[in-house]
Amino acid sequence: MAHAELETTPAFEAPAPGSWELDPVHFPRLVTRYWTETHPAAFSRGVSEFTRYFGMLLDSLEMAYVDGFAYKTARPVSPEDAPARIARAEELIAGKLWRDQLREWDEQAKPASIAIDRELQAVDPEQLSDAELADYLRRCHAHHAEMIYQHMRFTASAVVPTGDFLAHVGDWTGLPAAQLLGLMRGASPVSAGASAELDELVAALAADAAARELLESDADPAEVLEKLRSLGGEAGTAMNAYLDLVGWRLLDGFDICEPCALELPDVLLRAIRIAAAGAETDDASIGDEVAEVRGKVPEEHRGEFDELLAEARLMYRLRDERGVFSDIWASGLMRRAVLGAGRRLAASGRVKQPDHLIDATVEEMCSMLAGADAPSADELEARTEYRTSHTAKEAPAHLGDPPMPPPDPSGLPPAAARVMRAMGVALGELFGSSEAEHEGDVLRGLAASRGVYEGPARRIAGPAEFGRIVQGDVLVTESTTEAFNILLPLLGAIVTDSGGLLSHSAIVAREYGIPGVVGTREATERIADGARLRVDGDAGEVTVLG
Amino acid sequence: MSGTTIDALRDVPLFADLDGDELARVASVFKERRFADGETVIQQGSGAAAFFVIDSGAAQVIVDGDERRLMGPGEHFGEMALIDAGTRTATVVASGALVCSGVTFWDFQPLVEANGVIGWKLLRSLIEIYRSDREN
Amino acid sequence: MSEIVALLDAHDVALFGSKAAGLGQALRDGLPVPPGVALAGAVVEAVASGDGEAIGRVAESVRPLGGPLAVRSSAVDEDGAEASFAGQHLTLLNVPGADELPSALNEIWWSANSDAAITYRQRVGLFTRPSVGVVVQLLVDPETAGVMFTRNPVSGAEETVIEASWGLGEAVVAGRVIPDHFRVDRAGEVIERIVGRKSIRYRGLADGGTVEEQVSPELAEELCLGEAQLRELSRLAGRCEEIYGPARDIEWAIADGTLYLLQCRAVTTAGG
Repeated sequence: MAHAELETTPAFEAPAPGSWELDPVHFPRLVTRYWTETHPAAFSRGVSEFTRYFGMLLDSLEMAYVDGFAYKTARPVSPEDAPARIARAEELIAGKLWRDQLREWDEQAKPASIAIDRELQAVDPEQLSDAELADYLRRCHAHHAEMIYQHMRFTASAVVPTGDFLAHVGDWTGLPAAQLLGLMRGASPVSAGASAELDELVAALAADAAARELLESDADPAEVLEKLRSLGGEAGTAMNAYLDLVGWRLLDGFDICEPCALELPDVLLRAIRIAAAGAETDDASIGDEVAEVRGKVPEEHRGEFDELLAEARLMYRLRDERGVFSDIWASGLMRRAVLGAGRRLAASGRVKQPDHLIDATVEEMCSMLAGADAPSADELEARTEYRTSHTAKEAPAHLGDPPMPPPDPSGLPPAAARVMRAMGVALGELFGSSEAEHEGDVLRGLAASRGVYEGPARRIAGPAEFGRIVQGDVLVTESTTEAFNILLPLLGAIVTDSGGLLSHSAIVAREYGIPGVVGTREATERIADGARLRVDGDAGEVTVLG
Repeated sequence: MSGTTIDALRDVPLFADLDGDELARVASVFKERRFADGETVIQQGSGAAAFFVIDSGAAQVIVDGDERRLMGPGEHFGEMALIDAGTRTATVVASGALVCSGVTFWDFQPLVEANGVIGWKLLRSLIEIYRSDREN
Repeated sequence: MSEIVALLDAHDVALFGSKAAGLGQALRDGLPVPPGVALAGAVVEAVASGDGEAIGRVAESVRPLGGPLAVRSSAVDEDGAEASFAGQHLTLLNVPGADELPSALNEIWWSANSDAAITYRQRVGLFTRPSVGVVVQLLVDPETAGVMFTRNPVSGAEETVIEASWGLGEAVVAGRVIPDHFRVDRAGEVIERIVGRKSIRYRGLADGGTVEEQVSPELAEELCLGEAQLRELSRLAGRCEEIYGPARDIEWAIADGTLYLLQCRAVTTAGG
């Protein structure tokens, strides 16, 4: 196995003055050069628009990619601009101005974006000449950049009303945010994969026994989808309409290196099968859940509770829609175009594999189609290998100036403070960002094995690193397998990202009688190697002491 | 066991003075074991169960995190496992697809008891390793 | 041929290991275990050594099962007790058929004779040579699978704890996902439902082995068990306790709407 050497050993220097924070939540893997040249400007433009719209004291967020690792910094507004922002925050809250953004989204931005997505999707890259294909790549690129901007532009409207609800109701009832978020159920059908096209498909399948039989067959999923598409009648039409809607969306992530739905036919097929089987809808019970929470709210706040809940539920679908109909589709279309060009270049031997072209810049892609020599096939292969053999876990959590604690909202006038707190709560609950952690570094997971232990964290990616464990260490890892059993005599406690109470790590921790906290989701991202930890296997908490 | 193993064993100093029949007897207690590229064959610090001879492919020896050398067909490692289950003094990782022949000490012990030559050679081989470790 | 028997006829723990004997007993008690063949330790060793005659006998016995196969180790110890260390045993999922079985048995033999296995045995005071039998069954390719304990392993409460995820149960056993978590009381009422993050799934491949797949973000956070399935699981838990006693650790899978029992053993306690 060839080692993927970095072309230059990254010195991990701050890309610009300021305090830069690694963002492993949105970018757990390295990004492509395409993403590096496309994302930062569009992202910042969108962020500065939403901060202005919402009267935030943040001017913008900036992204920088250091050898593919994603870093972010915050730029506050200058003091002379603060009064205007504060006034705007009051105006926003008084007028519920996020509703205007929702209207703009529904009436203009969404339909316009979908129209362009469909237009670009209707082009078959195989039918284009080299020059036309270069042109098409540029068009897809421009659209993608615009969609990234659009996604960010609507971010505050998508999350602040929910955060506002969680903040207020959390204060009034003491209930955990995870439970309160349950009251959003049913407010975002898009999150559950619903759409008019899916409804029509389910109806068409219900009426067509032959189509249903085909759907459930054991054959290769890609073949099954093809056959369903070419069926006559309503089922075939509905299948095509549905796949045209969702097929070219990225299934996960944002970068063009991520697969689209049509590239994972098994996942797609299972989703259709589940929809066709008719999922259990628990919407009837939500009224009871709302009443239960409302009952815990002090009576004088119940009117406000109703208002806040209504706004949160109204805006909640924007959270997923603004991605799904903007950049997630546009990124998928760009990927499709790049793979089309990649196949053409691979056929002539210009690249070794079509997907190596994913690691070229747009200009490089176009000049390669025009016959340029650089970058070479080997160079592109090396870039792909580099990108796929590292993860964000290898990068330092901070670059540049030391991180400052988040500003304290309590010093601000009420409206501005409210907006800021709502945003913070939303980021914490919806994106798991460490920015929202005010209690010091406490991670929560499942209390898998009783007892409390304090000791140094040892981040272990796999058996190759076992030699680093010394007696008394706390194992911090993604998940464990029986290969890890040999470490047990050395460990004081176990902490994992994944896994449940019945997983290997939980069972061995209990068998061995050492404290265990599993399913923390982000231990390996948040805990530095050597950090002193307190692992509380009774409470399911891991505290970073220093 | 396979013809490859007998050939590979022939190159192992431990078995150098054995005749054809004795070599075949030794080979018969070895079992083939395959490893995928990057798979850990033995782990430094762990208990030891088996001695391995490489039939085909290559394996990287790593001590205290440093890559020391690449081993190839005919080379062997883990002979301490033939004495007792002590701890592995190095990590060995498959470099490309690796095919080994391995024997656990339970299967090897009867051979040593029946054949003094093997036992004597094993002792000398281990002293050799001990001496060269001390010098490094 | 008494070293190769239908799983239904596996009785002798000292020959076949307690996993085989346990599953055989479950089959005899009418529990929904996929049928299969049990191979004694000596046969597994012979096949792992390349013994042509043993290979032939095993192929002949297993061929009628068809394919693909799930091949599980069934360790034998001096006193017949199963090694208590979770995950010490190797399960090979999706071995395509009888012809690919020798290499699977070779892997299983080595996993029982691996450095980790020997280290563990010595730690718990087992200084004898390991012997490992094997259970070969038709592979179940489930939509949903996982683990169930008939007593809360942390609180000790008398309730059934179920952890489930999409695809093969490996994802839950190996802790690769945060599974959906359910608690059901003795009366069969669901006390708690916590959705996990089931972001990956294992699926069997046509030519053998399994592949890890990404699960869409929507599915990852959608509960993978409904009411009816939870009730069925709860009933199965009750039956297992009736037959074998309290505190059972059960591996289960649901394929094409049918609930299968893949494993049923005693919950291991701390200090084991």
